[in-house]
Amino acid sequence: MKLRYIAARLVKTVLVAIAVVVLSFFLIRLAPGDAATVMAGQSGYADEAFMKDLRAEYGLDQPLPAQFWKYAVTVAQGDLGTSYVRRQKVTTIILERLPNTLLLDAFALLVAAAGGIWLGSMAARRPGSAGDSAVTVLSMLFYAVPQFWLGMMMVLVFAVWLAWLPPFGIETMGSDYTGLARVGDIAQHIILPGTTLALYFLASYARLTRTAMIEVADQDFVKTARAKGISERQVARRHILRNALIPLVTYAGLQASILVGGSVLVENVFSWPGIGTLAYEAVTSRDNPVLLGIFIVTALLVCLFNLITDIAYSIADPRVELGK
Amino acid sequence: MNFARRFFSRPAAMFGFAVFVAIVMIALAAPLVFARGPFNIVGMPLLPPGAPGLLAGSDILGRDMAVGLAYGARVSLLVGVTSTLCAVGIGILLGATAGYYGGLVDDLLMRFTEFFQIIPSFVLLMVLVAFMQPSLASTVIGIALISWPQVARVVRGEFLSLRSREFVEAARVLGMRDARIIFTQILPNALPPIVAVSSMMVGSAILTESALAFLGLGDPNLLSWGSMIGGARSAMWVAWWTPVLPGLSIMVTVLALNFIGDGLNDALNPRRRH
Amino acid sequence: MLNRRAALGAAGLLAYPAQAWALSGKSRVMNAMLTDDPAHLNYPLYNTRIMQEICGNINESLLLFDWQFKPHPNLARAFEMSPDGLTYTFHLRTDVQWHDGVKFTARDVVFSCGVMLPQLNARSRAAFSHIASIKAPDAYTVVFTLKEPFNAFLLSLMASNAPMMPAHIYEGTDFRTNPYNFKPIGTGPFQFAEWRRGQYIHLARNPHYWRPGQPGMDGIYYRVCPTPEQRLVAMETGAVDIAMADDIDTVVTSRLLANPNIVARDDAYNGTGEIMVMELNMRRWPFSDRRFRAAFLHAIDREFLVKAINFGQGKVAHSPIPSTTPYYDDKVLTKYHYDPARARALLDEMGCKPKRGGVRHRFGLMLTPDGDGAYTRGAKYIKQALSEVGLDVFLEATDYPTQSRRSGNWEFDCDNNNYGTYGDPAIGTSRFYLSSNIRKGVPLTNLQGYINPEVDRLFAQGAVAISREEAQACYSRLQQILTHDVAMLWLYERKPLFYYNKRLKNVITGPNGPGDGFGSAALA
Repeated sequence: MKLRYIAARLVKTVLVAIAVVVLSFFLIRLAPGDAATVMAGQSGYADEAFMKDLRAEYGLDQPLPAQFWKYAVTVAQGDLGTSYVRRQKVTTIILERLPNTLLLDAFALLVAAAGGIWLGSMAARRPGSAGDSAVTVLSMLFYAVPQFWLGMMMVLVFAVWLAWLPPFGIETMGSDYTGLARVGDIAQHIILPGTTLALYFLASYARLTRTAMIEVADQDFVKTARAKGISERQVARRHILRNALIPLVTYAGLQASILVGGSVLVENVFSWPGIGTLAYEAVTSRDNPVLLGIFIVTALLVCLFNLITDIAYSIADPRVELGK
Repeated sequence: MNFARRFFSRPAAMFGFAVFVAIVMIALAAPLVFARGPFNIVGMPLLPPGAPGLLAGSDILGRDMAVGLAYGARVSLLVGVTSTLCAVGIGILLGATAGYYGGLVDDLLMRFTEFFQIIPSFVLLMVLVAFMQPSLASTVIGIALISWPQVARVVRGEFLSLRSREFVEAARVLGMRDARIIFTQILPNALPPIVAVSSMMVGSAILTESALAFLGLGDPNLLSWGSMIGGARSAMWVAWWTPVLPGLSIMVTVLALNFIGDGLNDALNPRRRH
Repeated sequence: MLNRRAALGAAGLLAYPAQAWALSGKSRVMNAMLTDDPAHLNYPLYNTRIMQEICGNINESLLLFDWQFKPHPNLARAFEMSPDGLTYTFHLRTDVQWHDGVKFTARDVVFSCGVMLPQLNARSRAAFSHIASIKAPDAYTVVFTLKEPFNAFLLSLMASNAPMMPAHIYEGTDFRTNPYNFKPIGTGPFQFAEWRRGQYIHLARNPHYWRPGQPGMDGIYYRVCPTPEQRLVAMETGAVDIAMADDIDTVVTSRLLANPNIVARDDAYNGTGEIMVMELNMRRWPFSDRRFRAAFLHAIDREFLVKAINFGQGKVAHSPIPSTTPYYDDKVLTKYHYDPARARALLDEMGCKPKRGGVRHRFGLMLTPDGDGAYTRGAKYIKQALSEVGLDVFLEATDYPTQSRRSGNWEFDCDNNNYGTYGDPAIGTSRFYLSSNIRKGVPLTNLQGYINPEVDRLFAQGAVAISREEAQACYSRLQQILTHDVAMLWLYERKPLFYYNKRLKNVITGPNGPGDGFGSAALA
């Protein structure tokens, strides 16, 4: 049963990917100006003959449907084309940057989940207390704060004023650290951007945990457990948390999907060499193949994360049947 | 009115409303009090708040930051409200159609909506704005184009549940045309959740507009809070107030709108608390 | 060393600035920055400042120039000019080899000056158009015969205009697509070692460099560092040793000047002598009227522009040639000081009167895409200042390809640019005012459409004047006419700061600054 569902979802993912390719391709082609002018402008050699050669080289003088078919065929083979600006393969560029974004997202997810769950469970233990209200207020603040500004404030405090942490990049520029030294260097660099990304979601985790735990704590089976004399701690750990897991897992999946395409601003503020900064560079330099590649890869990842979330959801709550 | 009483009974909503009204008043009063506009250079750049005549200091071009903050409110509110109205308009059209007709139409429209949810929406927005050339219009249109799915989903849900109700059946029997049924019968009943979600959307539209302006993809002829922050990226290293004050303005405005949204949600859907 | 680094990194507790300084403390490698990867490394093919700064280490010219713009031997160990100014003979060094081992000979000079440079580089083409023939009587002698005396001829051999290119690599090939554009071969103190796109370009020391004792460093890394704030941090933490023009936003100048480990100089770019300008499309009214242009200059406070908007970097320009170059003549200039009342009077006089809403004329200003950097801020100040006299400017945001296309095709009202003058009006200045250089579709030409036959005549005369006095007379008259005509809106002379780590010495040795390469740079 599950396998059939997963297979169906995979087919759906492929269909979505195709739809993404088609719609994105034509959307981006609507842009005024063409690649030849971009590339020629880059190298400062912009005579008509050169541009004509460029257009022929990149197949830009073909009719649009023919261009699309050619593109679709190469994409199906795993080749996302060549960047107009960098003259490298798009797949190479994306594969260089994607791990950095995934690393950042993973860190943000961990921090947000761990911090949020901890805060939320503290707040749930004493509902209505000052600490509880503080959590709620903080949550509202983090929803309202612009992420890029929060990042800049982190830079202001921790780099400009205190000089405790490096504000930009993933590694110290010019360093050739290996092994543990490199891990430590990256760890230092990931703290500020990762925490900035995490704070927005941390609030949500806290609220979800708090709500779930309060609701569950009221339910009969917990009261029974308490009546039987099982310690507070055991009750919390064994029953409440496990049942609160469902909305948390759902939210984690949502966060992953949001982060994959949505870390543009934070990456930009911290000059983190990931997909977000790549997207911004591609937009400002009109590098269409890279943009298309990013759309496709991101869409696929989002579908993947949605699928994983659904599966995890069904594992966490066996009462739920997939596909319903 | 029951609704007003419910809304104002929550302190947060009242606070949010008061703050929002204050911001609107500042926005409206700005051209009257600061007639020379926010681009007026008044003196040396990067003077701190409290310097003579400069309540909020001056920015990298020597402009009065207090004036900039006041005018920024106009841009934020204008973009926030306009883009939300457009998004709501599109969302209602598509969501109502999907929810009312169901079946194949619903399927197609839902796939179309999903496409927008799966594509990285901020990247899509950057692409749209960059290609339409950055301007107020392209900002509003761009934000509307990435926000309508939210509304559409809510509207569709409402229509799906409302379309099989008796009053709709009655209207059909009377021979009312579909469009009339949608707009005069079902829509008014579907409004409460739409209104609630719209308020939150104004807040997130303001956040999105500031993000675009920050990246330099906003209208270059307008001074908005986001562009103030974006212009302070280097200046921040020698003048902390240049990004801090505009950012706080955004936060306070969006917070107020969120409080209002929460309050509206509670007031309009007393049964649907969560 | 490695263990210490590992310990530092693993601990991760050490404040990061100290950590980065530890990196650059001992090595003899210089670290510099790039805002972005250049498209290629063939400087004549596309001469941007960044390319010049990198290729200045790889390619050399026949001559070096001192602070007074006097020529000195470089690849040419001796040179002489015939009394009639028509023949220049260069005696080349015999001990120079290209980075791939092939000997540098007269063939390379003949090829570079006769074929490659004129074909690729507009400035070289203009300068070398005075040449009648180039001959190599033997492997180490080159004789240039000119059509008429050209007193800027030697200056046109400055490294920024005439780097020597290897004939055995480029002759007979398509210069645009030659693979050596990405792994250049030169004679300079550093040679190309590696290019990792998005990360760095690595130049290694040339072990066979002909100057004894040079280069003083083992290599140079140009590290890609996309944002001005990143570059600021890199400089402050010591991750890089030098910051070149425009690497760092002028707004944080005070921070760097206060840093005890960093030295700054403002004369490293005198050789290029850039002037920040606004160009008006003189084919359109009211830009065609001299009074409008004069009013424009009167309406803006250029002192404020330099002092406040540009944080002190620069000097107000009153002439088409910079005050640091030999032919500058202060006495003949018509200067336009900040005087908004005068601006309004001029506009009234020429019939550009205020209409509804007090607006006299509305026009577009094409912004240079530099984020929110110095260009854009300057433009915003100017928009503000002009609005005070009733001129409504709307700012047009563009990207490089669009800007290039629109300015080349004259589809603009006003644009913002930055032009190098290269020491002699015949090389860097005339190209913007000669009616013969009005060429649609080509950047760096007379985009405004300024036409003045007397100016054409004077430029031609000045270039071929044999005596210094005669040339000066021509250029003085030119400055008089051009400033009276307001032939361009000269805003200020750029004097970008060059920052370097105090542990380095001999980093800047002449007005070309980085353009002459860092061969003489060494650890103090």
